[in-house]
Amino acid sequence: MNDFSELENQLKKLRPLPPSEDLAVRIERALAEPTSTTAAGVLSRARRLRINWLSLGVSLATATVLLLFARFGIDHPAKKTPAIASRAPSSIVPSASNAAEFVPVGLTQVVYHTRDEGLHYATGSDQPVRRLRSRTRETCQWRNANTGATLYVSYPSEEVSLIPVSGQ
Amino acid sequence: MSWRRLDYKDREEVMENVVTHEDWKVCFSQLGPGLVLFARNWVRSPADAEDVVQEAFVRFWRRNHNIDNRALLYATVRSIALDFIRRDSRRARRESDAMAETEQSIKPKFAMEDEFQQALAAAVDHLPDEQREVLVMKIWNELTFSEIGSALGISQNTAASRYRYALGALKKNFLSS
Repeated sequence: MNDFSELENQLKKLRPLPPSEDLAVRIERALAEPTSTTAAGVLSRARRLRINWLSLGVSLATATVLLLFARFGIDHPAKKTPAIASRAPSSIVPSASNAAEFVPVGLTQVVYHTRDEGLHYATGSDQPVRRLRSRTRETCQWRNANTGATLYVSYPSEEVSLIPVSGQ
Repeated sequence: MSWRRLDYKDREEVMENVVTHEDWKVCFSQLGPGLVLFARNWVRSPADAEDVVQEAFVRFWRRNHNIDNRALLYATVRSIALDFIRRDSRRARRESDAMAETEQSIKPKFAMEDEFQQALAAAVDHLPDEQREVLVMKIWNELTFSEIGSALGISQNTAASRYRYALGALKKNFLSS
């Protein structure tokens, strides 16, 4: 007999509260469900169907977003042309068929950064030159008087200037 | 009598018989109160504890485990309770905070007849978790130390040791006062 026998007896007199009657009903219902024959760890059919619908929904949403992006790109082709324009700004002239419709109305040039790169000596020359590097953004604008449509083409450009420095 | 391998339909029929067998009611009527008490080691709310017991019992019964393998049944309850806590940790934390504030309002685990039993139940509640779970399994679920060790993944001696520590703590903190 151990020292705790009295305490063990007192503990055993404490009776755990019985579970609610509802619990037995729920267990019975769960055991009676047809999914009870499903092997452990395998998803029920209903669950698998839900996952399929979810995948389908995500796929459709993705496709919709892609279509919207594609449509947006078709509606605004002009915004994709600056790279071409920057290579040959003078060639940004509307084609012959459109020339009558779109008329140039403006050209702006914004210098947003200038850097003085100091004195340099050109090859074979004793006279120093100051090199200035400027970054600009040029924007050409056309307007169609008939429809009121406006076409903008904007492109960045960089200009390097060599300024001779006189020694007084 | 010739033996043959069961095909899918036959197996389904056999499983159906197993899961609708009335034996589960007998087992559950005997084990239910102790199982719910055991689950309440981790989940404080009686409703959550019953959810845990339901899931564990149904899983155990469907897999056609031998009900004599009680260690496995209790291990299943413990595993599902721990999953429940992990799954719902935020809610558990909120509950825990709320419980700490209103500890007196916690639904009792025992049917207590007098103040002595109330004090004893409160003393059990204040035991460290690892001692209390062994005590619950031993006193109110009548598992052997071997079964307790198997269910908790500890040795039989460790289970016995925790049990003695629990009784020692109760005797020191409760009976001496």
